[in-house]
Amino acid sequence: MSVFAGPLSRLIDELKRLPGIGQKSAQRIAFHIERAAREDAERLSQAILEVKDKIRLCNLCNNLTEQDPCEYCSDPTRDQSVICVVETPYNVVGIERTREFHGLYHVLHGALSPLQGIGPEQLRLKNLMERLKSGSVKEIIVATNPNVEGEATAIYLSKLIKPLGVKVSRIAMGIPVGSELEFADEVTMLKAMEGRREI
Amino acid sequence: MPLRETEAIVLRTYRLGEADKIVSLFTRQVGRLRAAASGAQRPKSRYGGMLEPLTYIRLWLFERENRDLLRINSTELLESFFAMQGDYRVQLAAQYIAEAAERFLPEREVNERAFRLLLAVLRALKASREIDRPLLYYNYWLLRLAGFLPQLEQCCACGRALAGEEIFYGDETQGLVCSRCRTSRSRKISGEAFSLMEKMRRSPLDAWMASEPLAPAVREARRLFETWMEACAERKLVTLELLAAES
Ligand SMILES: [Zn+2]
Ligand SMILES: [Zn+2]
Repeated sequence: MSVFAGPLSRLIDELKRLPGIGQKSAQRIAFHIERAAREDAERLSQAILEVKDKIRLCNLCNNLTEQDPCEYCSDPTRDQSVICVVETPYNVVGIERTREFHGLYHVLHGALSPLQGIGPEQLRLKNLMERLKSGSVKEIIVATNPNVEGEATAIYLSKLIKPLGVKVSRIAMGIPVGSELEFADEVTMLKAMEGRREI
Repeated sequence: MPLRETEAIVLRTYRLGEADKIVSLFTRQVGRLRAAASGAQRPKSRYGGMLEPLTYIRLWLFERENRDLLRINSTELLESFFAMQGDYRVQLAAQYIAEAAERFLPEREVNERAFRLLLAVLRALKASREIDRPLLYYNYWLLRLAGFLPQLEQCCACGRALAGEEIFYGDETQGLVCSRCRTSRSRKISGEAFSLMEKMRRSPLDAWMASEPLAPAVREARRLFETWMEACAERKLVTLELLAAES
């Protein structure tokens, strides 16, 4: 038998299933919710349900959105000639924070990862290829992760897209800003050399 | 906390919490095992590209009393197989090699010949960018070294010698059968595919690849072995399904 009353122990169990939440954090959050005002608890549960009910994938770019097409795809001030391809909706947020990219996005929801059963068929590519048909897209920037999976995905995409006459570029991989060359391993160093640019 | 030095091939990694990774390794001196790498998920991790799938590294491990999971203290790159995996077919072949190694090599069992096999097959993939011959050779030798290779000289049902006979295999049997023991589900294998096995038994991979042309029999034999791999592995190999879709 649990040391907590039924409803409390059920809440703790649910919270523990969230990423990064262990038994202790789950208990702390559960007791906090128990002490909170009823309206606060209602707002929280309502917010959770709204995410489930109202968030879906944009038909054009697969980003998470409340309205379809999403805010990026329906914004006429964004550069319609460049699409940045990323693995997850998280990555969109990361790139938006730079405030330097004004094009459109495409979210693959994964990368080529045979060990996880993800091959080309499992990536959300069909609508990307559709978007390229109009001819208004001039460049694809592949911003997949700097690992084996992201690299295989990038090269696969370039083989698929280049024949259509669209420029395909890959974000630079290499030495993280603020670190020191002396600690870089050979794989990273090689990638950094490959990605060098004229200054 | 004793520190152990060993060579290893990285089979795959899993995220552990926000910052760490669990690394599945096939080590030369300790066998297959899992170890934790702290901070490996951080962008400025000192592991850099060394924990990417199939990297050949030297590493120093802490063994912790009463703990299954070892901890990685430091690593050094011996050989990277990163660039070749930019080609999806090669990535798929490489990750199949990793998945099959996890399935067929028991934990904490030193297997020097299997270690040399993995390295040789990865190097052949890197040099040739071709997957059929390296994977056939890998399948044959991995099954053999793991003790799963079926009897190849005789019919597994009646014991009759197979040389010069019509030869069949099926999903239900785990070996070759003669024309009298075949069932409706058995598939025929060609004499060429059959004779490949004898040659693989006798030569190192590079010599075998130099002498063995990439003929249709290679792919035929590869498929036969993959049927056996699947049957012996009990659970489906995820990468094998993707391989079947590729070829
Ligand atoms: Zn969109
Ligand atoms: Zn027989």
